[in-house]
Amino acid sequence: MLNRREFIGGLIGAPALVRLTRKSPRPIAGGFVDDDMRVGHALRDGSAQPTPRDRRRVSIAIVGGGVAGLSAAWELERRGVRDFVVLELATQAGGNARSGQNEISAYPWAAHYVPVPGPRATLVRELFEELGVLHDGQWEERYLCFSPQERLFMHGEWHAGLEPEFAMSASERSEFRRFGDLVTEYRASGKFTIPSALGLDRASPLDRISMDAWLREQRFASPRLRWYVDYACRDDYGAPLSQTSAWAGIHYFASREPDEPGPLTWPEGNGWIVKRLLAKLGSYVETAAPVSRVRREGGRWRLTTPRVEFDVETVIWAAPAFVTPYVVDELRGERHRTSFVYSPWLTANLTLERWPAERGIEPAWDNVIYDSPGLGYVVATHQSLRTFEQRTVWTYYHSFAELTPERARRELVERDWVYWRERILDDLSHAHPDIRDCVSRVDVMRLGHAMIRPTPGFLTTPERARPNRLLRFYHAHSDQSGLSLFEEAQYHGVMAARQALGLAD
Amino acid sequence: MPVALFISVLAIAACGLIYELVASALASYLLGDSVLQFSTVIGTYLFAMGVGSWLSRYLGRGLVARFVSIELMVGVIGGFSSTMLFLAFAYTGAFRLILYALVVVIGILVGLEIPLLMRILRDRYAFKEVVSNVLTFDYLGALAASLAFPIVLVPKLGLVRSAMLFGIVNAAIALWSTYLFAGLLGTRRALRVACVGVLALLGIGMTQAKRITTLAEDNIYSDEVIFSRDTRYQHIVLTAWKDDLRLFLNSHLQFSSRDEYRYHEALVHPGLAALPGARRVLVLGGGDGLAVREILKYPSVVSVTLVDLDPEMTRLFSTHPLLTKLNGGSLTSPRVHVVNADAFVWLDQNTDVFDFAVVDFPDPNNYGVGKLYTTAFYRALARHVSRDGLFVVQSTSPLFARQSFWSIVETLKRAGLETYPYHVYVPSFGEWGFTVAAQHGASRFMPPAALPTGLRFLAGPDVAQLFQFPRDMQPVPVEPNRLNDQVLVRYYEKEFDAINR
Repeated sequence: MLNRREFIGGLIGAPALVRLTRKSPRPIAGGFVDDDMRVGHALRDGSAQPTPRDRRRVSIAIVGGGVAGLSAAWELERRGVRDFVVLELATQAGGNARSGQNEISAYPWAAHYVPVPGPRATLVRELFEELGVLHDGQWEERYLCFSPQERLFMHGEWHAGLEPEFAMSASERSEFRRFGDLVTEYRASGKFTIPSALGLDRASPLDRISMDAWLREQRFASPRLRWYVDYACRDDYGAPLSQTSAWAGIHYFASREPDEPGPLTWPEGNGWIVKRLLAKLGSYVETAAPVSRVRREGGRWRLTTPRVEFDVETVIWAAPAFVTPYVVDELRGERHRTSFVYSPWLTANLTLERWPAERGIEPAWDNVIYDSPGLGYVVATHQSLRTFEQRTVWTYYHSFAELTPERARRELVERDWVYWRERILDDLSHAHPDIRDCVSRVDVMRLGHAMIRPTPGFLTTPERARPNRLLRFYHAHSDQSGLSLFEEAQYHGVMAARQALGLAD
Repeated sequence: MPVALFISVLAIAACGLIYELVASALASYLLGDSVLQFSTVIGTYLFAMGVGSWLSRYLGRGLVARFVSIELMVGVIGGFSSTMLFLAFAYTGAFRLILYALVVVIGILVGLEIPLLMRILRDRYAFKEVVSNVLTFDYLGALAASLAFPIVLVPKLGLVRSAMLFGIVNAAIALWSTYLFAGLLGTRRALRVACVGVLALLGIGMTQAKRITTLAEDNIYSDEVIFSRDTRYQHIVLTAWKDDLRLFLNSHLQFSSRDEYRYHEALVHPGLAALPGARRVLVLGGGDGLAVREILKYPSVVSVTLVDLDPEMTRLFSTHPLLTKLNGGSLTSPRVHVVNADAFVWLDQNTDVFDFAVVDFPDPNNYGVGKLYTTAFYRALARHVSRDGLFVVQSTSPLFARQSFWSIVETLKRAGLETYPYHVYVPSFGEWGFTVAAQHGASRFMPPAALPTGLRFLAGPDVAQLFQFPRDMQPVPVEPNRLNDQVLVRYYEKEFDAINR
């Protein structure tokens, strides 16, 4: 039996038993997933590379295993060529179309969709027929983006669609209409095509001014229209209005079919296409094979990679052009003469244990927060056939249009993972206040030179004017077009392959 | 001792009891199991009152001001307690937590009232009279409240406004006390302003209560709740009133035991009776086992595969005595094989072929369920139905949701199927529609003239008539529903908004 003292002692101790300990914030795991950044910087700094032990003689080397390089390989293979190799710097091929996978879903690391190709994108159609995306003239329904496709967070609530139509004034509405009418005219001109090379007017006056200047010239004053067009430029070019040429800004809107049923998308984004291409072409691809030196010797090209020196007749350069002065002996003097500008990006994949609280319409595939510096997030499980998903993966995008590319790259290198994680969660918490209770993991990828930026005057830059001035060295990367799009990368990859075979100029 | 003072004791006691009854009634109303709810709420409340009485010793100076503020707090928290609880149930997952937290807070405040009042009166009147009178009127107030609550308040005012009315009583007593004990109060002005503020707030609440209840109405059922569970996928509620058993999923009525036979006979027999040799049957959705009950009336059927997302749902309908009585124990029949899986994914990964399939999903009121009404889904399903087989789809109401109904028919057509829509009248649903789908190029579907024996609704000669649509249900021009453009969800939302308005 308890005596009196023990009983009182127990009472005094009781509060300790029922004390509420303040919940410490949920641990959120994750880290950077971009080891290739280190490899790229080693190439830039000319750090000592191991001397390759083996030598291989092949007819064609494709440098870069992104969509351009894999498309070059696809074209070579379907034309019966077998004597070629694809050299990829990273440990995984795919470039901007790389993808990841966890126990919930596959997810993209960057490029996550392809618009339903228009009539002129014949190569994209051919590829999609081969992959079963297009059959008998019908697009496979389960590869078209499911409803609801897009939503916008504005005034504390999610609204359908990306155009900020909610509570819009009549004058703003009429500006959106006028903008739409201008786009329709440009579309009808036939000069804004995908691939862009087919309709290109190099001397277009639109190339000489920025999208910002064009909007002012056309007397567009609506802040919402400005936001909408700025969002498009940040989303497709990673650039603000002032750094995007009016040609590119208009191309974004005028090159797309007005009522396409798409876009085409998969849980892992364009990584799905890469996986399918690799299933067929994987045996030609060498990963973790950065090309540190390219030189001309005895009428052939020598390519140095860590383990093998390749002795080839033809080089298809399917990596960004800015790398060439660092590795190609013949171009070493040109480091500071390049006029191509590349937009840096940051992407992240967030694992969510449950869906966060929110107001407004149901989650869409693409979810954008109005007036946020980020570009929003894409839901990887959106293309699932399930009626119900308890957990999900979100891919978050940020393109640094607010900073100069140099400044943004410095931030990317200097800031640690915790900084980016908190920035991402802060941004998302505007629309989802309890996001930190839902997320269990944030993996971050830093892409210092994610995409070419179509700055004013891009179409007449010297790099574009004479890309293939080295003998049997063909540029295949999408930076040649100024538009970092799947269709452009594929077109340039296929064209470079045809040039290598002497089938095109 | 002035009688008026003791009337206020009576009123305070009544208020205290009303809040306790409101919380108990709301809890049993929303969660079911009234014995459990009343016991735990009353127990917690009395315990909290004890805590309040004990805490009263720590209140020293300015007793009257304290008493007035406590009355105001009880008025606000108690007055809005049912509002908060309804909204908590409708919009949060923490209803129980909020319920007991509210009960504890109100209990503590109410527990403080009587001890404080006694101490205030102690110096004015003989203590033995104070104790005797206060407690007498306290218990009288409790009697008055417990009689008024079920007889007058709930029927006339409802739970939301009853609580608010008594909140007003608390606030009025607070205001009156500032006059009654004016001599014992220092500053009266601020307290009176607060009293008027609380009275105004509760007054507004009384006039707007209708809007609050409609806000939470989705979650209010008219009959007694006998089962309620949140599963991973849905909120399952069973209600019973006399012989009427009703199932709600996410607060949408799924069936009423009074007329479900009309729905399920119409769902199964027009299609299945037209396939005399049918051996293998697939049921998608329909975890209640009622469609299966109808299918098992065919001796030719050797196996029924039921694919339902929610294991709790199929377990409930395999074990609950009232429910197995209703479905005739169909889910535990040796001919029936239950699979808990997402239907679309299951169709995608499975290769079994069936002679007949029943598609009985909830109405397409969101994009998740809407995927199960798309051309892609029907194409996937058609691959599991034999060449001369059929399937039937519950297709919402051709009368209330005319565009939705014909959009489902159009979707089936675009998926390459031959369609035969029909409709019946189910009192608890209204006019309801179904579509029989046949493989393209199969022989023409003829409504069966002979049905199994023992049906309560359909007779053979009537079946053909179900396929006739009167003028107000005739086809309208609509788009098919596709994964990438779910027009059906938008039609459905628009049509049901129009009805609810």
